[in-house]
This record gives sequence, structure tokens and C-alpha cells, in this order.
Amino acid sequence: MDSDTPVISAENVWKLFGPSPEAYLSRMPAGRSFEEIRSDGYIAGVKDVSLEVAKGEMLVIMGLSGSGKSTLVRCFSRLHDITGGAVRIDGQDIMSLNATELIELRRSKMGMVFQSFGLLPHRTVLENVAFPLEMRGQDRHARRERALEMVRLVGLEGREDYFPRELSGGQQQRVGIARSLAIEPNIWFLDEPFSALDPLIRREMQDEFLRLQDMLGKTIVFITHDFDEALRLADRIAIMKDGAVEQVDTPDKIVLDPATEYVAKFTEEVDKASVVHASVLASDGVPVDGEPVPGDATILSLARRLVEDRSDAIPVSLPDGRTGAMDRKAALAVLFGERE
Amino acid sequence: MSDSTYVGATRQGAEAASVGAIRTRTVVLTLFGAAILLAVLKPWIPSALVRLPEGAILPWADWLDAGFSWLQNDIGLIHVTRTISGWLGFLTDAAANVLYGKARWPRLEALPWSVVAACSAVLGYWLGGWRLALLAGGTFVWTALMGQWRWAMETLSVIAVAVPFGFGIGLLLGMLAWKSRRFEEALRPVLLVLQTLPFYSYLLPAVIFFKVGPTAASVATIVYSMPPMILMTIVGLRKVPPDVVEAGRMSGCTRWQMLRHVFLPSARNEILVGLNQVIMLALAMVVLTAFIGMPGLGAKLLAMMNSFKLGRSFEIGVTIVLLAVTLDRLSKAWVVKQPEHFERGTPWWQRHAFLLLGIATFVLFYLLSQFLPILDEVGRRQSLSRGSEIDAIIKGALGISWVKATTEFIRWFFNIWVLIPTELALLFLPTFTVILAMTGIGYLLGGWFPALIGFLFFAAVAQLGWWDRAMLTLHSTLTAVLLAMLFGMPLAIWAARRARASRWMIFACDTAQTFPSFIYLLPAIMLFGITPITVILAILIYTMVPVVRYTVEGLRGVPREITEAADMAGATRWQKLWKVEFPLAMPTIAVGLNQAFIFAFFMVIIAAFIGTRDLGQEMQRTLAGTDLGKNFTLGFSVVFMALSLDIAINSWARKRREILGQ
Amino acid sequence: MKKLSAMVLATALATPVVATAADSEDPIIIPIHNWSSQIVMSHVVGQMYEEMGLNVEFVTTDSQAVYESVRLGDVALELEVWEGAFGHSFREALSKGGLHDAGDHDAVTREDWWYPMWTKDACPGLPNWQALNDCAEIFATAESGGKGRYLDGPVDWLKHGKERVEALGMNFVVVNAGSAAALWAEIGAAEPDMRPVVVFNWTPNFAEAVWPGEFVEFPTWEDGCDSDPAKGPNPDALYDCGNPADGYLKKAAWDGMPDKWPSAYCVLTKLSFTNPQIAEMAKFVDIDELEPEEAADEWLAANRDIVDPWIGSCT
Repeated sequence: MDSDTPVISAENVWKLFGPSPEAYLSRMPAGRSFEEIRSDGYIAGVKDVSLEVAKGEMLVIMGLSGSGKSTLVRCFSRLHDITGGAVRIDGQDIMSLNATELIELRRSKMGMVFQSFGLLPHRTVLENVAFPLEMRGQDRHARRERALEMVRLVGLEGREDYFPRELSGGQQQRVGIARSLAIEPNIWFLDEPFSALDPLIRREMQDEFLRLQDMLGKTIVFITHDFDEALRLADRIAIMKDGAVEQVDTPDKIVLDPATEYVAKFTEEVDKASVVHASVLASDGVPVDGEPVPGDATILSLARRLVEDRSDAIPVSLPDGRTGAMDRKAALAVLFGERE
Repeated sequence: MSDSTYVGATRQGAEAASVGAIRTRTVVLTLFGAAILLAVLKPWIPSALVRLPEGAILPWADWLDAGFSWLQNDIGLIHVTRTISGWLGFLTDAAANVLYGKARWPRLEALPWSVVAACSAVLGYWLGGWRLALLAGGTFVWTALMGQWRWAMETLSVIAVAVPFGFGIGLLLGMLAWKSRRFEEALRPVLLVLQTLPFYSYLLPAVIFFKVGPTAASVATIVYSMPPMILMTIVGLRKVPPDVVEAGRMSGCTRWQMLRHVFLPSARNEILVGLNQVIMLALAMVVLTAFIGMPGLGAKLLAMMNSFKLGRSFEIGVTIVLLAVTLDRLSKAWVVKQPEHFERGTPWWQRHAFLLLGIATFVLFYLLSQFLPILDEVGRRQSLSRGSEIDAIIKGALGISWVKATTEFIRWFFNIWVLIPTELALLFLPTFTVILAMTGIGYLLGGWFPALIGFLFFAAVAQLGWWDRAMLTLHSTLTAVLLAMLFGMPLAIWAARRARASRWMIFACDTAQTFPSFIYLLPAIMLFGITPITVILAILIYTMVPVVRYTVEGLRGVPREITEAADMAGATRWQKLWKVEFPLAMPTIAVGLNQAFIFAFFMVIIAAFIGTRDLGQEMQRTLAGTDLGKNFTLGFSVVFMALSLDIAINSWARKRREILGQ
Repeated sequence: MKKLSAMVLATALATPVVATAADSEDPIIIPIHNWSSQIVMSHVVGQMYEEMGLNVEFVTTDSQAVYESVRLGDVALELEVWEGAFGHSFREALSKGGLHDAGDHDAVTREDWWYPMWTKDACPGLPNWQALNDCAEIFATAESGGKGRYLDGPVDWLKHGKERVEALGMNFVVVNAGSAAALWAEIGAAEPDMRPVVVFNWTPNFAEAVWPGEFVEFPTWEDGCDSDPAKGPNPDALYDCGNPADGYLKKAAWDGMPDKWPSAYCVLTKLSFTNPQIAEMAKFVDIDELEPEEAADEWLAANRDIVDPWIGSCT
């Protein structure tokens, strides 16, 4: 496989719910809105979505409930059969797979974590984690080894023989995470994994998740309705509304340059200075004097320098090794939350 | 939807509702008006409207007979069923061998009673602690000491075969119905009919196709006990959370793996509740199946009654109830029993402590019983049965003068002033009056569909040719349900206010359902004679149970915030009950009423044992012969009446639920 | 262990007899019903068969439906075919084929209107039926509207009580009990205060021992009373006679029985019980509270001289 091939690619994906969606989609006039489709008796779960996820990238899909984000991720894993368009996993059109191939794909490449955990109540922690391995017919000894390793990874050692009902919500989701990682998937789907947890635990689980991701480097599609969570975790964010993607971009870009009114509404309340990084504000090739600030520093962390430094531009060391210049006024505007 | 469209929609809805109400009133008044008019003008209307003329009644019984005979002989279904009954017979024989040493394969010796009692106590302890152990062990000790061991084991040997089949087939059909909508749609009406078909109609075909004796009894029991298993399986499988399903699919489960590892284990509780229902219904049929050769407690009970041994039949009744309660509790304890984990390093004998304890108990009591014969078998002369003493007590109690005076008064009052006049009135009404009235009731409760069903089904009853008897059956059921409401509702309202009383009431309802009402038939006949009131009393218990249970559950299910809001609004107790709790509980209570009707129709058979002139009596008569056709026309007369009420009441309850947003 | 030895003993005893008989080893299925004399008699015969080395099993069946089962060979025989109660079902099955008449018992049966002795105190003219009619009002109940009430057997016993009341112009209403038990309950309820009752009853029956009583004497039965209006006192009506005072008590056998179990069949045709013997069997269970098996043991032990010749002549 070519390393440039996106791991997941969606091309004009449609998912309609209704009596005979394929027939409807084929005769539907282009550019029909969500409301119009609804008045025709169909619900557009996913509406003409095209995006790609690169290897090792974490894409966070953000949207309010009913925006179609869960439906979209289920189209990626073919838990839903799509109505139109194409979904490719490592370049392979998954709609062309037969039942056996699809099962094989899931058994070897995909892991998924669910909002309400989806644990099997009659199985112990260890048996839940080993479940996908058991399904693909791994022998008892090997799957026990692997499951124990996973249980340790998520910090549940000593509770292998507990049943799900004996665990707290956070612990249950750790089991869910361990299960989804048991088969060593390349692609990791997380459907609002922390939404059912209370805020303190949620924070803790996010940290834990970032630690795991650092260690494992999976390709991730992460769903949330919490914009702060999206900003905290994402490489890129896709914001969805009424089944369609409003904007796909890095957190900095979304905060600085919301593509639509709807996206702007989300960004209003956000403390931009803690999201935007220096590298984003830096323009290339203009030599500036002084000690360069790191490109991955947030504007907030540079606040003192921005206020104290009197020069118009501040040097920034960019990821590719070159040095760029950051307009100090622009940065201050971000810092003080002024609108441009 | 924006606010303005929302308001618009509500207004529209309200207008539609009031238009609907006016239309309902017009339709219902027209129907009832026509019905009353027909009754008043009875002497002048054409006689075809009063009673369907003989010539208009088609020979359904003959056709059915021809159909059955075609199935039985021409198609050769009887060879298939007789083969099946051969297998079933083999299984019941094997169970009978294990339980009481019947001389069949595998030709083991009978288990000593003490082994069975002690092992069930261990099982009870494992499932639910020492109280359940006491109940399970105690039941079997009682059975043995009363000298009923052999009969109880005869009964259990059939139940031990019928229950797994009822469970297995029910589970299978439930899974098919869950997989295929079309299959479910085809299955639902069949289940409805099965649940309303009077038991006598199960018996005759069972005998003809499956041979008189334990096999016919187990077939009738299987068919009767299966419907709730099917329904619970569907409910359970539907309830599996989508997250769990998707987790299974994402784990790469094949379809079979999904079923085996995800759906069935996740639906465990509902499936076990279904099993519990199968067991309870099987036990409820112990006495009735005795009519077609089921050996054991039921047959003995009937034999005791026929030689007028009240005391012994009462003791047998107690055993049946104890067995039912024990099996009920054990299976319910199994439902709530969750797997427990052991700390690492727990030695194997601790992990399997109960299994080992069970084996040890088995061996111990088996050895003991070899040396202490009393632990092996309690002979008739050693038993503690006190039949004749109880006889004397019962007869003495019935002879007390104030008891006699009271019952004489009740008998006189109800028979002369209530039952006989209403019965005559119902018989007086022209057939078409009743049909129109049922149509009206259907419309009032549920709209066009129930009305149509009411019309068609009651017309079908007329067409089947047993109208007068059908009216007598209808009269008994209606009266029994009304009386159940009259007595049951106040009781339920009283209990619903108290948590403890509610628990006891529900427990009493559970127990009463398994109590073979045959036992109190004789005392009832002695007190009230062979008269209509005795018939009503015989089915009253079956109508009381659902009325009380669902009223208690309905009232207790009213959300706390709502009753608190009523309190804060300054409602008195009565206001709260009438304005808040009752309206909210009504859909649930309606379900109870519906069940009361269905039970009452089903139990007309019992009334035939006392002596009636209704459908049940004719059905009892068909049992003696091979009149399958007649048996089924009678059975379906009951089914049609029961279903039209069922459909009307259910659609009313559904509508209420929708309005209340439940 | 004691069981084991018992089994060995039984086998040892049984084996030589089996060798002489050509009977099938399949169990002979004997139907039992819900009244004691029939149950005990069935066990008596069953134990006789077992002594002959045959396998026997009992199955509880309905006493009317049993003829269909005999016809199909589901059960092998029927020991008590009462003329009045089961003659109809028996004849019907006979005409369909598959079973046959295996001879009469010595016992005679009678089924008719009956009253417990205490009734005679209130109506001294009994057992004459006209005397009964004259004191009809003492049999009145709240529901009978001043007329006397006669409690007839279940409708399916086809006792024609109503027709007789009409044919003889009696001042009675007829109510059908639903079961034998309902009849006993009625008598039992009348017992404490000696209330006069008249109900359907039959002999031989345990009730005779519990409640002494008599049959009402109706115009004597003439053949054809149920089919020819001319017979009996009322020239225009059927059923204007009492039931036959000496009805038969038959045995019935499945047509396949003589071939399958020849010696058992032979015994069946030979055996015959009398009214006192049947009453004794019933008494063991109904009064002495023995189990039917024990009652059969006792009865056999006391009556070896009667049964041994039957067995002897067939093996």
C-alpha cells in the first residue's frame, strides 16, 4: 500500500433513512436541503460528505446530537450500508466487500469504543477484552495473554475477574477501550467515549487517551459533541450539522477562521489564545531578530513575551526547521479575544 | 419545528380531537340506539334478527371434522404425531424412571425422597440463601410425609419433559419472530387464539393425535405454556442495547456468533422470566390435564374429589401450590442471580463449593436411605396425612349456623336478584342487539377497527350455532369480572398505599394463580348448591388475581413527582386518587381487566365441573367422544368473544398510553 | 439394597412363568378412571397379570373417551363397562370396530333417582315415585320456584331426567350436576341438618357405604321405553319408566389383545366379579383409606380361591 493513500477516505457519502433510499437518491435533484429531503419523507443521516483521514491522524468529528456524526462513523465501519458515494479503507471500497470479507476487515483492522460502553454483561473484564480475539478464533492461551496485556495497559490489573456491573463508569470505559485495542487495529473509532462520564473522570480519561495515542499512534476517528474536548484532542476537526460537514480544519484554523455562521457560534465562547499556536500566525521567510519562540506554543503561553516585546514581529521556529515571523498585533488581538 | 408551527399543530390537533369526539358520540349512540330499538321491538322484528335461523347456520362442525379427518388419515398426520408421541413417551418414561423408578430405560432405581429433598435444599441455598433452601427442602419433605411422593413425581416427570420443550420451542419461535417481521405478524394472531382457546379445546386434539396419557398431557401443556416464552424472547432480544450489538459486530462476530455470544446472553433475564412463566403455566395445568390421562397429583385430586374426600384433596392442593411456589421462587432467584467473581488464587474447591456440597448431600442421603428405609420411601401407613380429620373440620365449619345463614343469604340474593334475572335478560336480547352493542363498545373503546372486529366476531359466534350457550358463558365472565372489580379494586387501592401490603398482595396473586380451584369447588357447592353463584365463585379467583395485581402495579407505578405535585396542589386523598392516580394507572388497570376477561373465558371449563348450561358444558361432553369439529366450534365461540373484548380493551389502553405519553 | 434383592427375587420368580406363555413382553396398558372400585379392580387384574409374568402399566383416562383408546389399541382393555353410563360410547366404538365385548361380570348395575335414608323421614311414602311427587315441595330450593329439585347426573351421562319429569308429569325441576363430585357435595351439604334431597346415584358405589339410601321406584323398565312411546304408563312419551334395575357390567378388549397377550386375554374373558366383591374393593379405598395398590393386595390375599382358577385355566 502506498503510504500516501489515506487510511479512510469518504467520497460524496450519502446515508438516507426512509422507505426506499437508493431510488430516492438517484432521482433526487442536486442541492436539495436537509429540510426539503425531510419533507419528502427521508432523513439525511449523512449528506454528501467527502473527507480523508491520513495514517496516524486523529480526526475529531464534532456536532450536536442528531447532526449525523455517529451515523458517519458507522458508515466508515459499515455498521450502516451507505446510500450513495464511496468509503475506502486503505484504498479498498468497503461496500464491495462480502459478509465474510467485512467480518475479516473488522477482525483485523478496526476497533471501536462506544458511548455506553457496549460491554457484555455476562462476561468478566478479561472475557470482554478477549471477546474479539475469541470471535476470530484465537486459541485460549494466546487470547488470555493479549487480553491481560490490554487490561494492564488501561490500568485495570487486579480486576480481570470482575463483571461489568461491579465497575464504575470510567472503569467500564477502560474495558471498552481495552477491548477495542485487543486485535491491534490500525483504525480506531471512538463514538463519544467519554460523554457518559462525569467531568472529572472525563478529564482524566482524556489524559489517559492522549497517553495511549502517543504510545500507539493509531489512525483515529473520534466523535464528540463537546467542542472543548475536540480542541483538546484533535489533529483536525470536522464540524457537522444536519448530516453535512460544515468545515474540516485544524483547531487553530477553525478558531481563527470559521467557515460558516454555525461554526462561528461554537468558537465564540472559546478562549482562542489557549488554542491557537504561534506557528499558525507566523508568515514565512521574513527574517526577524530575537530569540524565536517554539511554533507549537500557544498564544496564551506567550502572553508575557507578546506584551513585553516591543517589536512588530516575533520570530517563530517552524516545524520544518525554518523561522517565520509572527505579527505581534495580530497575536495580541488573539490574546485579548478581539475580533479582526 | 418552529414555535408557531408547533402551536398551530396543537390547535389543529385539539380541533380534530373535538370533531373526533362528536363523531364517536354519534356513531356510538346510533349503534346503541339501534341495539335497544331491536330489543324493544323484539316481538315485531323478523325472527332472523332475534336468533339466526337454523338454516342459516352452516355445518361448521361437519366441515371441521372432515378437515381433521383429512389431516389425520389422508395426509397421515397422525403417523407423524404418533411418532412424535413415541419420542415424548420415551422421554417421559425416562424421567419417570429417574424420579420414581418406573420400569423403563435407563432402568435405574427410584431416587430416595430424602435425596431429592436435600439436593433441592442445596440448590435453594445456592440460588437464594437459607429461606429458599427451607422452602425447597420443606416442599419435598411435606410431599413425602403426606404420602404423596409417588404422585408428585409422576406429575414432575411430565413437567420435566414439557417445560424444556415449551422453553426450547418457545425460544426458537421467539428468535424466528424477532428475525422476521413477517413471521412475527403471522405468529401474533395464532398466539392470541392459543391464549384464549379454552383448555378443553386443547385436550381433545391432544388425545386424538398424541395418544391418551402423559404424552397428550405433555403436548397440551407445551402448547399452553409456550406463548409467554415466545413473547418474552422477542422482548428480550429487542431490548439488547444497540451499543452492545454494535460492539459485537465490530468485534467481527458472524451471525451465529452474534446470536450465541451477544444476543442470547444479553437477553438472559427476559428469557429466564419466560422460563419461569412456562413452569408456572405447566403447573397450573396439572389438574386439567388429568382429564386426558396425566398421571400424578392432578389425577389423584380428581379421584379424591369423586369419592368426596375433601381433606385429602385439600392436602394435594397444598402440595401443588407448594411445588408451584418453590419452582417459581427458584426460577426467579435464578433470574436475579448474577455471576460473581472469585479473588485470584481461590482454590478450586471454594470456587465449586456448592457443586461439591450438592454431590456430598446426594451421596450422604443416598447412603443413609439404604439403612433408614423411612428416608427412602414413606409408606401410606407412615404418612402424616390427616385427610379424615380435615374432612371433619371442613364439614363442621360448613355446618356452623351463622356460616350457613350467611351463605344462604348470599345464595338467595345473588341468584334470585342478580344472576338469574341478568342471565334471562341476556338470553332475551335478540342476537343482533348484542352484535350491535358489541360493535358500539368496540367503537367507543378503540374506534373503527375494534368495532369491526366486534361486529364480525360476534356475528361469527352467532353463525357457529351456539348462541344461547355463548350468552351464558358471556354472562358468567362479565359477572365474574364485574364482581372482581367490585371486590378487588378496593382491596388493591388499600394495598397500593402500603409497600409491604403491596408485596404481600402480589405474592398472594402469584400463589392464587397456581391454586387448583377444583379444591374449593366442593365446599363452594356445599355452601351455594349447583347454582349460578357457585359458577361465578369458581372463576372469581382467576378474575380477581389480574384485577388486583394490575391495579396495585398501576397505582404504584404513578411517578412520585406527580403525586407530590398533587399533594402540593392541596389535593385530598380522594381527589388525588380520582384525579391523578387513577387516570394515570388506567392503561395498566385496563390490561388487568383484559387479562381477567381472558382468564374467565378460559376457565369456563371449571364451571362445567359444577354443572352449567353454557359452552363449557357442551365442550366437556365432546371430551367423551371424538367430536373434534363440535369441540372446535365451541372453542372458537369462546375465542371470538374473548378476542373482540381483548382487541377493544387493548386498543383503548394503547390510545390512553399515547395520550399520557407513557 | 433391599430393592435390589427384591428385584432379583421378582425376576427369579417371574422367569419360569414367562417361559410357558407366548404373551408379548410389551406392557399391557390398563386404563383407570376416577372412581375407586374400577381403580382397585384394575389393580387386582394388573397384579394377576404380573403374577403371570406379564408387564402391566396403568394410565388414567376419561371414562367415556377410553373406548376410543381401546379401539386404537392405546389401552388393551376396559374392566367396567356400565350399561347405563357407558353403553352408548361402548356401542359406538363397537360399531366403528377395533374393540369387542369380552363378557359380563356377575355384578348387575343400577342407576336411577336416589335419596339418602334421612329423606324418608320427611317423605314417608318413599320409595314410590308418586309419593315422591306428592312431597315435591320439601325438595324445593331458593332457585327452583316452589317445585321440587332433582339433581341429575352430568348431561353427558345422558340420564334423561328432564324427559322423565315431563313424561310422568312430575312437579320437579331437573338440574344437571357437572360431575360425580358435585353430586357428593350436594348430599354432603344436606347431611348435617338432614335436609331431604333426591339425586342421581348408582350401584355398586362407595356412596352406599357413606350414606345409606334407596332408589326411587319408578314404573318398571320395559325394553323400548326409550324408543317406543307406547311402552310405559304414558302412551305419548318416551322415558316414562325407571332405568333397568339389573344393567350389565361388561369387560371390553382391544381386538389385538387375543393375539398379542393370549393368556392375559384368556384370563380377562374368564374373570367375573360380583356386586359384594366390587363393593369390598371400593370400601378398602373409600372407607379404610388404603391406596389402590394396597387394596388390591389385600383383596387378592383374601380371595385366592377365586382368582387362582382363572389364572390356572389360562396358563
